Amino acid sequence: MMRILYMLFLGGGFSLMVANGFFGREFFGKRRRADLPPSVRQTPGAYRTFLHNNGFHGGK
Amino acid sequence: MSILASCPSCGAALSFRPGTMVAVCAYCKALAARKDRDTALLGKVADLVDTGSPLGLGASGTYTGRSFTLAGRVQLKHPLGGVWDEWYLALDDGRWGWLAEAQGRFYLTFTQDPHGTLPSAGSLQAGGLADLGPAGLWTVGEISEATLHSAEGEIPWAVEPGATYRFADLSGRNGAFATLDYSEEPPLFFLGREIPLADLRIQGGTRKPPKVGAQGLNCPKCGGALALHAPDQTQRVGCPSCGSLLSAENGKLAFLKSLKQPHQEVVIPLGTEGVLQGEKVICIGQLRRSCTVEGTAYPWTEYLLLDSQHGFKWLVESDGHWSLAVALPPGEVPQALDGQKNIHALGGNWRRFQDVEAVVEGVWGEFYWMVEQGERVQVAEFVAPPRSLTRERQKHKGVGEEVNWSLSTYLDPEAVWTAFKLKDAPSAPRGIASFQPNPHKATLAKSALWIVGALGLLLILVMVESATHRNVELFRKRLDLYDLAPGLRQEAAEAVRKGIPLRRPNPPSAPSTAEVQEPVYFSGPIEIKDGRRNLAVTLSAPVNNAWIGLEGALVSETTGVAELFLLESSFYHGVDGGESWAEGGQTSTVFLSAVPPGSYVLRLAPQWDGKFPPVGVLDVQLRQGVMRWLYPGLALLAILVVPLILVFQVAAFEGRRWQESMYGTAATASGDDE
Repeated sequence: MMRILYMLFLGGGFSLMVANGFFGREFFGKRRRADLPPSVRQTPGAYRTFLHNNGFHGGK
Repeated sequence: MSILASCPSCGAALSFRPGTMVAVCAYCKALAARKDRDTALLGKVADLVDTGSPLGLGASGTYTGRSFTLAGRVQLKHPLGGVWDEWYLALDDGRWGWLAEAQGRFYLTFTQDPHGTLPSAGSLQAGGLADLGPAGLWTVGEISEATLHSAEGEIPWAVEPGATYRFADLSGRNGAFATLDYSEEPPLFFLGREIPLADLRIQGGTRKPPKVGAQGLNCPKCGGALALHAPDQTQRVGCPSCGSLLSAENGKLAFLKSLKQPHQEVVIPLGTEGVLQGEKVICIGQLRRSCTVEGTAYPWTEYLLLDSQHGFKWLVESDGHWSLAVALPPGEVPQALDGQKNIHALGGNWRRFQDVEAVVEGVWGEFYWMVEQGERVQVAEFVAPPRSLTRERQKHKGVGEEVNWSLSTYLDPEAVWTAFKLKDAPSAPRGIASFQPNPHKATLAKSALWIVGALGLLLILVMVESATHRNVELFRKRLDLYDLAPGLRQEAAEAVRKGIPLRRPNPPSAPSTAEVQEPVYFSGPIEIKDGRRNLAVTLSAPVNNAWIGLEGALVSETTGVAELFLLESSFYHGVDGGESWAEGGQTSTVFLSAVPPGSYVLRLAPQWDGKFPPVGVLDVQLRQGVMRWLYPGLALLAILVVPLILVFQVAAFEGRRWQESMYGTAATASGDDE
């Protein structure tokens, strides 16, 4: 039981490290990924509205 | 060359070799002392007891290159019962050796001239040390009296029928053995060691053939069948049928008394044979003992085992825990003073666990000493799991006392069941035994290789990461907030004219409801070539009791996929109740996952509370391939978390073990309180 638990911990810890160190993956922090439609990209003022509507609320 | 003489009693021929002081007539058992011209009758001795000795009068052998003859022996009675043999070796160089035989062990000693004064009998204590000057310090194993029972052949000292002799047996390291004989003044000093019989290469002699198998007898009280497996050494028999205690001398049983035996749950019946740790053994006795601590009785059962070499071992069961105990020469263990918490013996450190008085409650089967119900011994136990050292100090009736050390090794109950082919399954052990091995320690030891391997792998990964993470700067910009929002500069100028301060720090708990400004900055194309390295965006702003945020997006010009992030510089400080405090910082970093190679645009939208920004400028930096210690830290935590759990379990197990000890932490604390 303890060995399985240890394997899980080791697997998890090293997976996180390898994913970050060798594949550039990040798992913590205030960030998210979104697809911006061309209409938004072509209209600078539309960014804020788009982001706000997609749940990306800035401010303290 | 021997001198021939005649027996003063019957006239039979007697032989006196150099050094012989008394000769025993083989016909009439008369003791004849050698005088100048003739022999003098000292008396007569009883018949010899059949002790099952493998030696016989007239046998020859060699010792350190000198040949010898077994010229005589005496049989001495011990105060606790039993008779032991002392053989006399006449060496071809004229010396005499004393070969004592007890419970299958042999001790060869020679007389020595003591350098200095030997300690008096009254100054010695069993278990204590005897200072023999240049001969060193010795452990007193026993101090007692022996009574002459019988003799044969030629004796190199002046024996007397029925005489008692005070002696002290001393034990040293590596089998060293010595005896102080207080029958003369000054006392005699014998020095030697325990010796395997095979080392003496003894051949011939007049010994009787050894008894084979069990001797069948009947209980004189109830007539029940009894089988004695060590009849030569058995002193007492507890009849399992009627509970009578019987004496066994010269192969005959005699009723002594009826015992009120406690109820006994027998696990290994008498006469059960088995193979324990590769050696054939047979269970010949069962002993129920107990000790009482703070009004609570703690019983245990001891099974006396006879092995194929006619040696004795003890299988001990207590609350489902099993151990195998063997006798240890007292000289192998240093003196343990009262209250001494640790001793160093047998190459290790042993911690004192308890001091109790053990009482015999029940007796079944045969025993090599005069065991009695109610027999009491003082027991001191020292543990070094999975072994324990136990010292039993027993006072003899009348005079003398002895100390016996035994070494116990914890056994898996399954091993006992397998050894004796017992039915059913062993009952689960209750509680923690004093020297039970810590199972978590074994698990921890087994995982040590994994821990070392994982730490090594972690080190390699960190080194590779450090070498490959170049921390490449892709973008750096100092943003002037007033340039980003030109109207803001004009409003600020008006505010200055009206005397409104530009920087008004707002408490974080009461955010302003003023309209949020939206200056936005778009970078030029940023070329990202490596799609396997993370990104880090860093914001630095000289805020002072204020905050400023940065809403950002790293947008792919080809796919439109945006990495959205938030950053803020928030730094507050002050003095509260005379103590200064500070929280937050002027620099913050957000890490983004690697993005596919390509051209990207960075959109930065600073945010703040109030009408005017708390700072005029802020620095933004975008880097790629930034080493993050968070992940090696998490991996290290993953490596250590299970060992830490195991360490906790080891400590908890030991805590529960020592909770039961008189010398545990709790007991010490309690003692301190008192």
